[in-house]
Amino acid sequence: MGFKIKLVPYEKFKADGVKSFMKDLKEDTIILIDAKLSPEEEADIIEKTMKKVSEKFTGIELNSLDLSKQKDVVGRLKNLIIKVVTGKNQGLTIIGPAKIVRKIERNPKELLVYI
Amino acid sequence: MVLKHIRRARNKIAFIVRKIFKKRKDIKIGLYGPVNSGKTTLANRICLDWLGEEMGKISVIPHETREIQMKEKVTIKSNGKSLTFNLVDTPGIATKIDFEEFLKYGMKRKDAKTRAREATKGVIEAIKWLDKMDMVLVVLDSTKDPLDQVNITILGNLDARNIPFIIVANKVDLKTSKASRVREAFPNYEVIGISAKTGFNIEELYNALFRKL
Repeated sequence: MGFKIKLVPYEKFKADGVKSFMKDLKEDTIILIDAKLSPEEEADIIEKTMKKVSEKFTGIELNSLDLSKQKDVVGRLKNLIIKVVTGKNQGLTIIGPAKIVRKIERNPKELLVYI
Repeated sequence: MVLKHIRRARNKIAFIVRKIFKKRKDIKIGLYGPVNSGKTTLANRICLDWLGEEMGKISVIPHETREIQMKEKVTIKSNGKSLTFNLVDTPGIATKIDFEEFLKYGMKRKDAKTRAREATKGVIEAIKWLDKMDMVLVVLDSTKDPLDQVNITILGNLDARNIPFIIVANKVDLKTSKASRVREAFPNYEVIGISAKTGFNIEELYNALFRKL
């Protein structure tokens, strides 16, 4: 089964919400967002994608990697500055159509996508 | 960024206002968690213990609870104190629902599609009801990986909304249960291992409710 991968900048997601990739998800596209989403944003994605569930689109697999949690002071300060300047949490979010992505497993520093 | 801080501040204020003005009898305790973690079994256990009747139907087929159910005025007692609340059982949170999964349990195609449709609505309702809760019991299946994204999202949302919660590591009666794994996954939160089915350690959960509220 073929599929595509699309990078959606966090700024675009912030502006358009789930609309920025809903059509792509339904067309078997895996979405990458260049940030760790907030819990509220994740809940919003679950809610909005649930509204679109049908026989063809069965929902999503979602997982995030949080790269903002640094133990050293310098790292934390750097992340704070990045967050203030860019408005996003350092990390990565993967959202895949459940028909294609079976599971997304998170280890502390990596995400494993099972197709 | 700024909007997020405003939203969080608004949630905090709303929570404090709720706590101050809400009458004690209006307290809502919600049961949240992934599908088939034993939320309704726990609701039934609490209702049987204190009201003498069950709350909802349970099933091995996922998404048996597809609507919010509420049992009003549940009063629990411990050490001479009593606590009255409305117990809210919610549909399991899921990110995917495939009607074909229900066919494996011998359901007819039409019934499976109806169940899937109702289940999606249930998930949406459960998320919407989150803001109405004064406290939440996050019911997790202790035989499964606690770091599932659904669990992380539920806990993150409770934290962000300042809603107090207890993690209930359910199904400790099963051989494959690893309540310790739940504790290791969430070291900063209160985790209580119970069996809603057998009632094991349920007293500890009741005591925790008194401590939290």
